[in-house]
Amino acid sequence: MAKQILRCTVNDQPVEVLVFPYQTLLDALREDLGLTGPKEGCGTGDCGACTVHLDGQPVASCLVLAMQARGRSVRTIEGLTSGSGLPSGALHPLQEAFVRHGVPQCGFCIPGVLMAAAALLSENPRPTEREIRYGIAGNLCRCTGYTKMVTAITEAAATMAKGAK
Amino acid sequence: MSTMKTTRDVRGIGLSIPRPDGPEKVTGHLQYVADIKPKGLLHAKLLRSPHAHARIVKIDVGKARALPGVRAVLTAADVPELKRKAPTRAHAVLAIDRVVFHGQPVAAVAADEPSIAEEALDLIQVQYEVLAASVDPLQAMRAGAPPVADRGTEADTSEALAHSAVALAKGESNDAKGVNVSQTSAVKRGDVAKGLAESDVVIEHTYRVPMVHQGYLEPHAVLAEWDTTGALTLWASTQGSFNTRSEVADVLGIEENRIKVIPVECGGGFGGKIRALCEPITALLARATGKPVRYVMTRREELQAGMPAPQVIIRLKTGAKRDGTLMALEAETILESGAFSGTVLAVSAVFLGSLYRWPAFDIKGSEVLTHKPSVAAYRAPVAPQTIFAIDSQMEHLARALGLDSVEFRARHLSHPGEPMVNNVPWASNGAHEVLARAAEHPFWKERAAWKAGSSDRSLRGTGLALGGWLGGLQPTGATVKLNPDGTLSVLTGQVDIAGTNIALAQIAATAYGIDIEKVKITTGDTDVAPVTGLSAGSKTVYTVGVAVMQAAEDARRQTLEIAAGELEASVHDLEIVEGKVVVRGVPNKGITLTQIGRKGNLYMSKVPPVLGTAHPAFSQQAPAFAAQIARIEVDPDTGEVTLHDFVVVQDVGRAINPLGVEGQMQGGSVQSLGIALTEALTYDETGRLTNPSLLDYRKLTAADLPSIETIIVEVPSPAGPFGARGVGEPPIVPAPAAIANALEDATGVRFTECPMTSERIAMALIDHRAAATRKA
Amino acid sequence: MRRFELVLPHSIADCLKVLAKRKGKAKVVAGGTDLLPQLKNGVINPPCVVDLSGVAALKTLERAKGKGLRIGASVTARALELDAHVRSAYPAIAESGALVGSVQVRNLATVGGNLCNAAPSADMAPPLLALDAEAVIVGPKGRRRVPIASFFTGVRKTVLAPDELLLEIAVPAPGPHSGGNYLRHTPRRELDIAVVGVASQITLGGSTCAKARIALASVAPTPVRALKAEAALVGQALTPALIERAADLAVEAAKPISDQRGSAEYRLHLVRVLTRRTLTTALHRARNGSGRK
Repeated sequence: MAKQILRCTVNDQPVEVLVFPYQTLLDALREDLGLTGPKEGCGTGDCGACTVHLDGQPVASCLVLAMQARGRSVRTIEGLTSGSGLPSGALHPLQEAFVRHGVPQCGFCIPGVLMAAAALLSENPRPTEREIRYGIAGNLCRCTGYTKMVTAITEAAATMAKGAK
Repeated sequence: MSTMKTTRDVRGIGLSIPRPDGPEKVTGHLQYVADIKPKGLLHAKLLRSPHAHARIVKIDVGKARALPGVRAVLTAADVPELKRKAPTRAHAVLAIDRVVFHGQPVAAVAADEPSIAEEALDLIQVQYEVLAASVDPLQAMRAGAPPVADRGTEADTSEALAHSAVALAKGESNDAKGVNVSQTSAVKRGDVAKGLAESDVVIEHTYRVPMVHQGYLEPHAVLAEWDTTGALTLWASTQGSFNTRSEVADVLGIEENRIKVIPVECGGGFGGKIRALCEPITALLARATGKPVRYVMTRREELQAGMPAPQVIIRLKTGAKRDGTLMALEAETILESGAFSGTVLAVSAVFLGSLYRWPAFDIKGSEVLTHKPSVAAYRAPVAPQTIFAIDSQMEHLARALGLDSVEFRARHLSHPGEPMVNNVPWASNGAHEVLARAAEHPFWKERAAWKAGSSDRSLRGTGLALGGWLGGLQPTGATVKLNPDGTLSVLTGQVDIAGTNIALAQIAATAYGIDIEKVKITTGDTDVAPVTGLSAGSKTVYTVGVAVMQAAEDARRQTLEIAAGELEASVHDLEIVEGKVVVRGVPNKGITLTQIGRKGNLYMSKVPPVLGTAHPAFSQQAPAFAAQIARIEVDPDTGEVTLHDFVVVQDVGRAINPLGVEGQMQGGSVQSLGIALTEALTYDETGRLTNPSLLDYRKLTAADLPSIETIIVEVPSPAGPFGARGVGEPPIVPAPAAIANALEDATGVRFTECPMTSERIAMALIDHRAAATRKA
Repeated sequence: MRRFELVLPHSIADCLKVLAKRKGKAKVVAGGTDLLPQLKNGVINPPCVVDLSGVAALKTLERAKGKGLRIGASVTARALELDAHVRSAYPAIAESGALVGSVQVRNLATVGGNLCNAAPSADMAPPLLALDAEAVIVGPKGRRRVPIASFFTGVRKTVLAPDELLLEIAVPAPGPHSGGNYLRHTPRRELDIAVVGVASQITLGGSTCAKARIALASVAPTPVRALKAEAALVGQALTPALIERAADLAVEAAKPISDQRGSAEYRLHLVRVLTRRTLTTALHRARNGSGRK
C-alpha cells in the first residue's frame, strides 16, 4: 500500500516523512522518526503512556492517525526542553523534580506523565493538589502510587513560577 | 551527577539517594524492548483461540503464507520438538491438538509490518470442535467436570516453592478428588470441632477475590535473533533472565549456554514476568525467518492471555470465647490456577493458621485447574487475599465480642519463635512493632471523631489491617572489581525492577569503604553475570544485597592485603579513607586505590587485580509486615467510596534507601487498593474474558487517590544486609482488609467479596436499610 | 490495525464526494477516540477512512447572546469543557464534555463523533437532548435538520445515511431563568464510561416550572427522555418532594440491561439518585442564573 507524505513540526524541527495511511502518530514517531520516548501501553487511549503535545495540547497519540498531524506541531518528551530557552542537555524543572524525588521506578509511564504535567502547568501555573491529580488522571502508573509525582509537580510549579518572575 | 553526591557520610546506608537511572527515564532515552529496532526487523503476531476448550480439527495456513510481506507462519505441525503434553505454560507454545483457554496461541506469523501480520491472522483458517469448559472453580472441582490438564501433567511447584520458601506436606490423596484438583494441602492441630463447640461466638464467612492482572504498564515484549552458529539472543522484558534462559532451553531442547538473555529495562513485572511466555515462540519465528523478530503483546492480549493472579476463595470459620480467647479455626482455601498449575497453597495456610495463635486449626487447601489463562505470581502471591480473610475475620470477631480490634489482634498475634502451621518457628519480625505504631497514628486514635464529623450525608469510617510477607530466598552471586582509576564496578545478574541497584550501590560502598559516587552497579546478561534468581519475592536486597556485601568485603580484604605488602604494614593497621589505604594514625603513609588498581593491570606486574566474589545460598527467611489505615467517605446513594486518607506502616528491617523504600510502600499500597476497590478479570460462562481493555479492567488513577503517607519501622533482620528485609511485597497485602474494615465502620455492612465496588456497596446498603426497616 | 486507504478532504463538498463514491464502504474519522479502538479490535474493517481533521468548517463554535449555540461536529469535548459561554449558559454541555475520558482524550474527542458513534452511554447526548438540540446533516441532496431526540435509532445506529455527514449541532438558547446539570456515575473518577448519565434542564416561569427536560444515558439502546417525569414538573413549584417524585418517574423511563459495567437494578437505582441530584442543581442554577463556574 502506498505511503503518504507527512509534513509537520516535531520538537520545533520541520519534518517530512513517509507514513502508511493506517499508521498512528505514536507509531510514526517511534518507528519512522526514532522518537521512542512516547510508549504504547494500551493502544486505546486508556493509559496515557503515549501522551504527546499536538499544537500544545496533550493528546493520546495512539488515537491520532499520523496524517492527522499534517501541518501541525508535535512535541514529545525528547523535545520537552527544546524551544524553552534551556541550554541543550539541561533538564526541565519537571524532569529535575522527578529525578530528585525518586519518582521514576520502572519508568515506562514517565514520559507520558511529564508531558501531561507540562501541559497542565502551562495552562495552570499554580495548580492545587486536586488539579494536579486530575491533570495526570489520564496517566496510569502501576509502580509509584502517584504520591511522589504530585509532590514533584507541585515543587516544579513553584520553581517555574519563580523563574517566570 | 549532582543527584548522587553524599553530603555528609561516605557510608551510604540510610541515605535517600535518587536512582541513578532517573535522568535516562525522565528524558525518554532509556530503551525498552519495543524501542529496539535492529536491521531487517520483522514483527510477530499470534493467532489465539476464541474458545476456552476445544479440539483443533484442522488448521489451514496457505492463504496466510501467500500474503505478500508475510515471512513465516508457524503452527505446532512446524515445530516437532514441542512436547506433546506441555508440563508448564511455557511449554504450551502453540496448541497441538487441543486448546485449554481462550486466548491460547494456535499459530504465529512474522511479517514486514504489524498490519500485514494482523491481516495474515485473518487468513488462517482453524476448524475447532468446541468442548464443554470448566469455568467456575467450585464446579471444576467436582468429579465429572470437563478435564483441563492432560493426564500425567505434574503440578508445577518449583517456582511456587522458590517464591514462598515454605514447604507443606501434601494433602492426603483423596480418591473422590475431582480431576481438576491439581494440588492439595492439609494442616491440623488440636480438636477443631471441640474448640468450636466450646466457643461463645462462631463466625463463618466465605471470602472471595477474583483473578486480577498485575497491571504493569509495559506489555510483555521480546526480540529474538539467532546467529549463524545457532546461538540465540533474546532481549526480554523479564524479572529473571536466568529463569527465562532455563525455560526457553527446556522448551526448545537446546543447551542453556547457547542462549543469551539480555534483560532490557523492564516496564513493571510484579510477578507477571517471572516465567517465560513469549520468548519461545518469538525465538521459533526468528529461526524460521533467519531475521530478528520482535513480539510485543497488545493490552488486549495481556488481559486475555497473560499470567494473572489466581482467584482465591476461602471459607473461614472461627470461634472465640466471650473473654476474647481464640478457640478454633477451620478453613478451606481454593486457589484457581487456570489451565496450568502454579499457585502457592502453603502461603495461605501459614497466614490463616499461624499469623494469630489458634490452639486448634484445620486448614485444607486445593488448587483447581480451569479453562482460563494460567497464573504466575503477583506481588506477595495469595497473601492479600488470605489477609483479606483472616484480618476481616479477626475484626469481625472483635466487634462481635465488643473488644478493641487492634488490642484483639495484638493479644493473639504470634511472636517470633512461636510455631507456624508447619511447626517451623516464626523468624524474627516486626509484626508487633508495626501494629503498635499504626495504633498510635492520629487517624486510628481519632476514628470516632472522624466518623461523627460528616458535614453532608456521606458515611465515614476508618479501617486498619495487618499483613505481611514471609520473604523469599534464592541463591545468588556477585562480583566487585577495582578499576585502574580507583572506582568500583559491581556485577550482578539481578534485574533492577524495584530500584534495588541504588541500594546495592549503597551496600557495596559501605562494605568496601568508598564514596557511592565511585560505585557502578551493572546488571549483566546471562553470558557474563553470576547465576541469580528472580527479582521477586522481596528477596533482592535480602539476598543479592548479601552477595554484594560479601563480594565488596572480599574486595576490601584483597585491597588491604595488597596495600599491606606495598606499605610493609599489617592489614589490621590499615583503613580506607577518601580513596586511599592508609596506616591508622599515620595519614601520610599510604597508597591510593588508583595506584593499587593500576598495579593490578600493569605489564609484568606481580600484583593481581582486585576481584571480590561471593556466591551465597540462604536458609533463613526474613518476614516483613505492614499495617495500613484507610479513612473513607461513602456516598450512601451511589455507593461511591472516597479514599480520604491512607497510611502504610511497614517494617523494612533497615531502610538502605528510604526514598526507594517509600516508593515501594506507596506503589504496593495502590495495587492493594486496586484489588480492594476496582479490579477484577471477569469471565462469562463460556470462559471468555469480558473486560479485555483498560477501560473495563479498572486500575486506580491519580484522581481516585490521596497522598499515601509512609511510616518506616526498623526491626533488623538477623541475616539481611545491615538488617534489611525485603520491601516490595508487604505493602500490597493489607488494604483489602483495611477497606472492608473501614466499610463496616462506615456502613455497618461486612463485605467479603472483592472488589468492593460502588455497585456492590450501594446495593448492600439498600438491603441493609430494608432489613433495618423490617426490624424496626 | 489492518491496512486501509486514507482520504484527506479539505472541504465539506470534497468529503461528500468521497462518501458518495465509496458507497458506504468508507468510515469518517475526526478525533479517532471511538473509531481507532474499533479498528484496532477488528470490530470494523473498512477499506477506506476519510479524515475530517482538515475540514475547518466543522470546527466552528458560534454563539450569540440569546440566539443559541452552533457547535461544529468537530468541536472537541475539551473546547466545550473550557468555553466560558458554554459553561455559563449551557452548563450541562460543558459538564458532559468535561467527563469524557481523560484530558488526553478530551483534546481529541468531538461532539460529532460522540453522537455518531451512538453508544448508549454517549455522554454528550443527554444534555443536547435536554436542550432540544437539532442535528444539522448535510448530504448530496443538501441539508436537513433532525431533532436529537430522533437522531438515534438503536445501539450504534443513527439516521445518518452512508453518504451524509453531521455538520453541526444547533442548540436553541434556553431562555432566562434556566439551569441545567449533567451527572454520571462511574466506578473511577476518570477514564471511565458512564454506568448511568442524567441531564436535567429546567426553565422557571415565576415560581413554577415552565419547562423541564430529563434525559438519560446508558439505560436504553439510545439516550431517552423521561417524559412522565418531565410532565410531572411542568406548572408546579419544584419542592424536594416533587423532585423526588420526578426521580421515581424517571426510573420508569429507563429500560437498562445488566452488563459488566452495571446491573439493571443498580442502574435503575442510579437513575433515581442522579435525576434527583441534577434536578436540584438545575433548579438552583435556574434560580440564581449561574452556570458551571
